[in-house]
Amino acid sequence: MSQLIKMLAISIMVFVPISSHSHDGEKHSLIGESKADKLDQCVEPTEVMQKEHFEFLYHQRENTVEKGIRTKNHSLANCIDCHVSYDEKGKAIPVNAEGQFCQTCHVKTAVNIDCFSCHATVPRDNSSKIKSTGYNQNIHIESTANNLVEYYKETNYEK
Amino acid sequence: MRNSSELTRREFIVKSVTAISAVYVIPDLIPKAVAAKPLDLEVSAKTKWAINVDVNKCVDGCTACVEACVDENGLYGFDRPETDSQWIRKLRIKDIKTDKVTTLPMMCQHCENPPCVDVCPTGASFRREDGIVMVNQHTCIGCRYCMMACPFKARSFVHENLTEQVTSAPRGKGCVESCNLCVNRIDHGSETTACEEACMKEGHHAITFGDLADPNSRVSLAMQAKPSRRLREDLKLKQRVTYSGF
Repeated sequence: MSQLIKMLAISIMVFVPISSHSHDGEKHSLIGESKADKLDQCVEPTEVMQKEHFEFLYHQRENTVEKGIRTKNHSLANCIDCHVSYDEKGKAIPVNAEGQFCQTCHVKTAVNIDCFSCHATVPRDNSSKIKSTGYNQNIHIESTANNLVEYYKETNYEK
Repeated sequence: MRNSSELTRREFIVKSVTAISAVYVIPDLIPKAVAAKPLDLEVSAKTKWAINVDVNKCVDGCTACVEACVDENGLYGFDRPETDSQWIRKLRIKDIKTDKVTTLPMMCQHCENPPCVDVCPTGASFRREDGIVMVNQHTCIGCRYCMMACPFKARSFVHENLTEQVTSAPRGKGCVESCNLCVNRIDHGSETTACEEACMKEGHHAITFGDLADPNSRVSLAMQAKPSRRLREDLKLKQRVTYSGF
């Protein structure tokens, strides 16, 4: 009997921490609204996503970079596209900003995320969208390109 | 008296020849760059991406390809030309004997025997099955051996924190990067790279991109039309980027 209780105690100790995570049963209360708010479930069941999303991302990144597989389901770009919140003006708030989807849990669980030193934190398509968002940025692109060209003209031109 | 629902011998032959040519012949006559790959399929060596540059058509002073590349990949620098990233640049070379000035775009030459891959200590610099030489920035440690190994100065190093990356081209501090033939576009079925598109828009048609394995692709046709050569052929790197017209 005592052995049974011991087993039970051990099993509780072993299994309880695994089944708990940063927000058990809590709903996200994030600033702004995202596409994900309107959906019942992510690409996998919520439980699975909460514990194993990074596994999917690791797997996908190898497939994408090395093999050129570009499926949407487990791609980081798709995560961001769906989970990014928009403020009242319709402007996207970076997913790693305070109080946003990625950051909320990662702060609570003290796990640093490294994705966003390289990956865009808001859906940002090239050219067409950049052009439509701002005139200034366009000038910046041009000036950068011109500078590069000037520089290489100077360095490579045989006088 | 002829029944209208029946074909005469002549009509039958004409119609069947038309039908056969519509199905088999005409699609082969249209130059294709890409047989679009489904998103979930691995790239294979059956595709051989390549670029041909016709130097005679490249216009001195035109920087459309450079601008398009900056735009496509979000290569916004810090107005520091010596360290800012450049994936494609314009060179201006002068023949010492004849004084003939030539301009040409220079980018990663996508070698079949890439020295940058040989020297990479982590395997981050790699050659994809379809011939695109690129950097896996997840494993790049920023040692810059590849930059030293590259005879074409094709690679850049990101020295500073970046914030305005575009979704299709993740890039960040501490990694080496270079032209990847607009890999994201190509994988999504685009038939052109940004530089080729810009060059065509300008009406110069100096840059031609396509699949070498397909004899009817734009690049294959361009290379058949004019003799082309690789730069520094003595190094035996077998680049996929070739230059015609000099």
